[in-house]
Amino acid sequence: MQKKSWKFGTREVVYSAIGAALYAILSLATNWIQLPSAGNVSFRPAVVIPMFFGVVFGPIVGFIAGFLGNIISDLIAGYGLWIWWDLGNGIMGMLPGLIAVWMTTYRGIKDIMWAEIFSALGVLLGMGVASVSEMWVSGADVNTVIFANFIPAIVPDLINGLILLPILMVAYAAIVQRSGR
Amino acid sequence: MLVTWRYRLRNGLMEKFDPRARWIFSLAFLFAVTMFWDARFLIFFFVIAFLWYFSSRAKWKETRRGWYLVSFILFMMIVINTIITGGGAGGVVPPGGHLVWPLGVTLPLTGWHFHFGLTWERLWFAICQVLRIAGISAIFLIIPYTMDPRVYGVTFRGLGLPDRFAYSMELAFRYVPTLARDFSTTLDAQRARGYEIERVKGGIVKQIIRIAPLVVPVTMNSILTGEDVTNAMDLRCFGTRPRTWLVKLTYHWQDIFLIILGIGMLVVGIVANYIFHIGGFWVPEFWLRMAGV
Repeated sequence: MQKKSWKFGTREVVYSAIGAALYAILSLATNWIQLPSAGNVSFRPAVVIPMFFGVVFGPIVGFIAGFLGNIISDLIAGYGLWIWWDLGNGIMGMLPGLIAVWMTTYRGIKDIMWAEIFSALGVLLGMGVASVSEMWVSGADVNTVIFANFIPAIVPDLINGLILLPILMVAYAAIVQRSGR
Repeated sequence: MLVTWRYRLRNGLMEKFDPRARWIFSLAFLFAVTMFWDARFLIFFFVIAFLWYFSSRAKWKETRRGWYLVSFILFMMIVINTIITGGGAGGVVPPGGHLVWPLGVTLPLTGWHFHFGLTWERLWFAICQVLRIAGISAIFLIIPYTMDPRVYGVTFRGLGLPDRFAYSMELAFRYVPTLARDFSTTLDAQRARGYEIERVKGGIVKQIIRIAPLVVPVTMNSILTGEDVTNAMDLRCFGTRPRTWLVKLTYHWQDIFLIILGIGMLVVGIVANYIFHIGGFWVPEFWLRMAGV
């Protein structure tokens, strides 16, 4: 079956919803992990979910998983709604989704490498957009945005994403192989 | 894992409005307030935001967690922006200004003397930042407490989003309790096998890898379940016709009023900013007099 990058059929509707709910639940469940050197920056291994759903199901699923997942997580935690950060999380899942059509085995070195590169780009672009939006919303200057928003956001997201993404991809490859889906 | 929504019916004035009207008002407020750095306008927006916030009847006990987060962000932003980097929204605060300590500062006991570039204008800018961010926060922080999670899907559909996206949203909210239960079951099963999630030994990489036995089964299990849900929905011809929704939203006069208020603020903001060129950063006389200038 030929994959279509921007298709949004029943399958994509369901996986967007699952991705978003999963991202929200895992974010809440791992809130207790803190960065040893920056006590107030929450460490979120769940960022891998939008990246993984993007790589497997395409950019729209990745975007919704990140965008909606972040909204739901903040709704449950009671942090309110921060649309520009939700958008950043969406982009973080959408960019890896651009290579979904080229994925073949999900466990080959080439597949994993491309997924990692696009996920890293997704983190940089997504958190970049969200951080730059703070200049417009809060009136912060470039230095503040870089040191108070961008760097604390990208470092943990890159570490989490790049470590956990290959693990999930290999596990998914096993499922695909076994179930023939 | 217990997942509870922050929403409960409080019978506040805010809940009398249609959720679509509330979204339009909130977004119009956001775009309008971000056009101003003049404290006179920001005070107006601040008052509107808090009148709106208090119309929700949400108690401090309920919302304090969100406010702590906002305070922390605000503190970091202002301390770094005003005191350390000395910036201000890419040129909003004009260069120069009146120094708070023109002769420099001498640290007691050490005798160290250094010059500090903090100006009275930047301090006023910090006050404007507080007014603006607190106003925006009041509008957006209250949403989870006052909007029923069951109406998000139909609301966004009513705002013009595609049916499939709106349904995806609806489905995601319904999945949350199911996945929370799956997560708890997996955690218990892994614990029975000797898995210790609370162990804090080891570096960051080790801690992340330690998460894998929890993340992988929950994710893979939900993917397998998703296939069944997709098939069930396809069998029921999902997406072949426009979807009908259980909740029907209807605009009333108060919703129209709220939308007009929101759009009005936005239009006034655009006219004031782009036609009359007012609303930019402004320092009041009394502030400079207080500074002894």
